Amino acid sequence: MSPQPFAFPREFFFPPFFTRQTNLTTHHAQLIKWSSLILSYCRHHRIYKLSLSLSPSSSSTPDQSSPDAAQPQPGADELFHNPRIDKRLSLADIKETIDFMRKDGRAEYVAPGGAGGDVVWIYWRSPEEWAGLIEEWVDGTGQKGTVLTLYELTEGDATRGAEFHGLDPDLLQKALGILVKRGKAQIFGQEDSQGVKFF
Amino acid sequence: MSRKGVGLAAFDRSRITSAQYASHGSSLRSSDAAALETQLAVFRSLLQQFAQTHAKDIRSNPSFRAQFARMCSAIGVDPLAASSTREGGGSIWAQLLGRSVNDFYFELAVKVVEVCSETRGENGGLIEVRKVREAIMKSRMEGAPDVTEDDILRAVGTLKPLGSSYSVIKVGSKPYIRSVPKELNTDQSAVLEAVQVLGYVSVSMLMVNLKWSRPRAQTALEDLMGEGMLWVDKQCAEWEYWSPGFMLSGQDAVPLD
Repeated sequence: MSPQPFAFPREFFFPPFFTRQTNLTTHHAQLIKWSSLILSYCRHHRIYKLSLSLSPSSSSTPDQSSPDAAQPQPGADELFHNPRIDKRLSLADIKETIDFMRKDGRAEYVAPGGAGGDVVWIYWRSPEEWAGLIEEWVDGTGQKGTVLTLYELTEGDATRGAEFHGLDPDLLQKALGILVKRGKAQIFGQEDSQGVKFF
Repeated sequence: MSRKGVGLAAFDRSRITSAQYASHGSSLRSSDAAALETQLAVFRSLLQQFAQTHAKDIRSNPSFRAQFARMCSAIGVDPLAASSTREGGGSIWAQLLGRSVNDFYFELAVKVVEVCSETRGENGGLIEVRKVREAIMKSRMEGAPDVTEDDILRAVGTLKPLGSSYSVIKVGSKPYIRSVPKELNTDQSAVLEAVQVLGYVSVSMLMVNLKWSRPRAQTALEDLMGEGMLWVDKQCAEWEYWSPGFMLSGQDAVPLD
């Protein structure tokens, strides 16, 4: 987790930003601003999967007296709700923004078809981009031909400092899947102890 | 036919006098013209001298540049008007300063156009000159000369010969650049002026402050919404209409504490 809080952009303090604009052009500008905000917020907090559902309680009495309560957990509650101006983006508007991002390849529902609720991949790096980063790292560190466990790849000391360190395991699977398709890697092993070999 | 003895000489005399007046007049005119020509020549050379000695200041010092431009326009010299009929072509400034000042304004005009088209989606093509300046200053490299609102207005002026839709309009007391060819009617201007002062407006605020009827206030607001010049906030007791200009600056971009 990044220690410093995310610096929200100016539009986050602009009350109409939280209301779906009726004018088409304005709405388009609004969608662009929201999607870039979501991407930079998730990048800052290294959020790979975002749960869209807001906790229902957070609207009532924002407790400003204790400093601990004023610091919300990173996530949809903080991202789509500005307690300072008391505005929130509705779930319908959030989903519309996500759909906008999906067309751009910047978001994807974790459960296809929307069956699995409201958890969304936020691709501040797309799986292709993650695959590229991993491939670069393999090239740069001369790991071709070696076998690494998936755990090593994202949690091991060797990748500390690489951008994909700490990558979500499911997203890692997606990225490696792309490398496998390109014939650059091979995955083997069981559920818990999967390994990967790079070519 | 009886004839009074005025004599034909009278005609001659009047003819001679009028001829004398005419020749005197023309000599006066020509001497005036000669004097003016000398004055103009002296003035031109002085202006040239001035511009050359201060060329660096004109280029680098925005307030000096503005003063110089103001002086030029006060004496009826438009430094940016392209007088292509003149020998060599180009404007007086271009002739005097080797184009660098002109290029300064043309480059600035390009940046103004960029800012306007980037933000057109969110503001409907109407943006305060101050905001344009902020955006330009933010994107400039370090050490680049300062740009004033005056420079920006002048730069917008250079776009005119292109037949562009860029123009400067006054809303309330503040100059705005309009990059979409659309006239605002008086009601719409009044609403924008009120938004400028109050931050946002609602139907009932317009009814109270401008003594408008409800349909009139609603129409003006809906028209401006249709142009994309206002954003609506529906999460309040009565819908509030905000100027997108407040998004570009105004509220401080500080993290939630």
